[in-house]
Amino acid sequence: MTGLDPVGLGALVVWGAIVGLDLASWPQLMLSRPLVAGSIAGLLVGDIAAGLAVGGVLELFALDVLPIGATQYPDFGVAALTGVVLAAGRPVPAMLGMATGLALVIAILSGPLIERVRRANARAASGAAAALAEGNAHVVSALHLGGLRRDLIRSIVLSLVAVVAGLALRPLGLPPGRLALPLLLVAVAGALAAAIRGAVRSSSQGGRFAWVAAGFAAGVLVLLWR
Amino acid sequence: MALTARTRTLLRLTAFQGSWNYERMQGIGMAWASLPLLEPLEAADPVRHREAVARAAHFFNANPFLAGAAVGAAAREELAGAPGERIERLRTALCGPLGALGDQLFWLGTVPALAAAGLIAAALGAGWWAAVGVVVAHTIFRARVGSWALGLGLAEGTAVGTAIQASWLPRGVEWSGRLAAVLVGMVIPVAAWWLLGSAPGSRRWLAVALALVLYRLSRRVRGRLSAPEFTLIALALVFLWHWSTT
Repeated sequence: MTGLDPVGLGALVVWGAIVGLDLASWPQLMLSRPLVAGSIAGLLVGDIAAGLAVGGVLELFALDVLPIGATQYPDFGVAALTGVVLAAGRPVPAMLGMATGLALVIAILSGPLIERVRRANARAASGAAAALAEGNAHVVSALHLGGLRRDLIRSIVLSLVAVVAGLALRPLGLPPGRLALPLLLVAVAGALAAAIRGAVRSSSQGGRFAWVAAGFAAGVLVLLWR
Repeated sequence: MALTARTRTLLRLTAFQGSWNYERMQGIGMAWASLPLLEPLEAADPVRHREAVARAAHFFNANPFLAGAAVGAAAREELAGAPGERIERLRTALCGPLGALGDQLFWLGTVPALAAAGLIAAALGAGWWAAVGVVVAHTIFRARVGSWALGLGLAEGTAVGTAIQASWLPRGVEWSGRLAAVLVGMVIPVAAWWLLGSAPGSRRWLAVALALVLYRLSRRVRGRLSAPEFTLIALALVFLWHWSTT
């Protein structure tokens, strides 16, 4: 039993809008981290395990992203929603590969949307250059709130696309066992490769290789202990 | 009860990048966050107020979580009647250090550290509380740092750069980076075993070996393909293999 009814899906779109806005505009509380976005999405549709797993895989990809300045980066948080919709109420290992694939498509599509919002903000600022040069505080507020509004619209549109895409692919059902395992292995391997890139970048900052290696060893110890 | 100008600026700083654009980057967000602090000028010296707002909206780019230091320092100098050129130089001079220190503290430090810690907690059975813990820890840390940065800017004005260098921040950057390195290193084996929990043992090792191959390949095509694109191509190849053999 999942919450994939109109109320649950509506809540998911609202959550997606919050997640998308959190990415860069407001309030940047890490709600847009895929682990957080996926977990809460799982809670909303009644399948926390699916939410955690989809969010967990995408979180590994996100460890390779540096959201600095003008770099274009994917919105993995909203993308997690589509994977959760696809996997909810089904065996997670069988669905995780396919859910990750669909979420990655949404994540890749989200980058240019963010770019569009930024360009629209630039056009609005250019159009109000004279008022800004005069120090008009009302224009400053209008421009800033306009930018927030554009990002909110982007987030709502992306959330709708994510939820509809997940729903559209649900009728395909479970992938056959012969396909599900290779998809799972490749999806998790791709995510781990991204996390390794993130770890290597961490280790290159101030010669921290020993710290990364110590962490890796601690992780192996935790697994042995369990 | 009316909020103080400082509290309103702190709240506005949470939306510092709301109007981010390629021309002024965070300039308009900086002006919007500065408005409550500049209010005393509006009645006392309207001309100076408009000049101050116009200056605040110029190009600015720094880490959003530390930007309060620049907002506070510039507002203090505006209220003190400092020459406009000096305030412009102060803003320009602060972009580099606030960007570099803030990005290292947050984007290369606490954010990946908390994300990795959340993943480890989820893998060890914490469930969705792992996500709650990540958000709560980040929010508390970010609020404290944001409040500290704004207070430092307001207290120090043009001396804020020196005050930052003498503060806990450079050491905090170093330690947050080490913490991130340890936790990101730790999450790799733990997450692999968690996410591949249902796969037979030998297949788990296959996934780890595949991850290393993908990592090596991704380094070769860096700049042309991102990790998600690379993984999608690999998933498409799996589909093709499946269809061609059934």
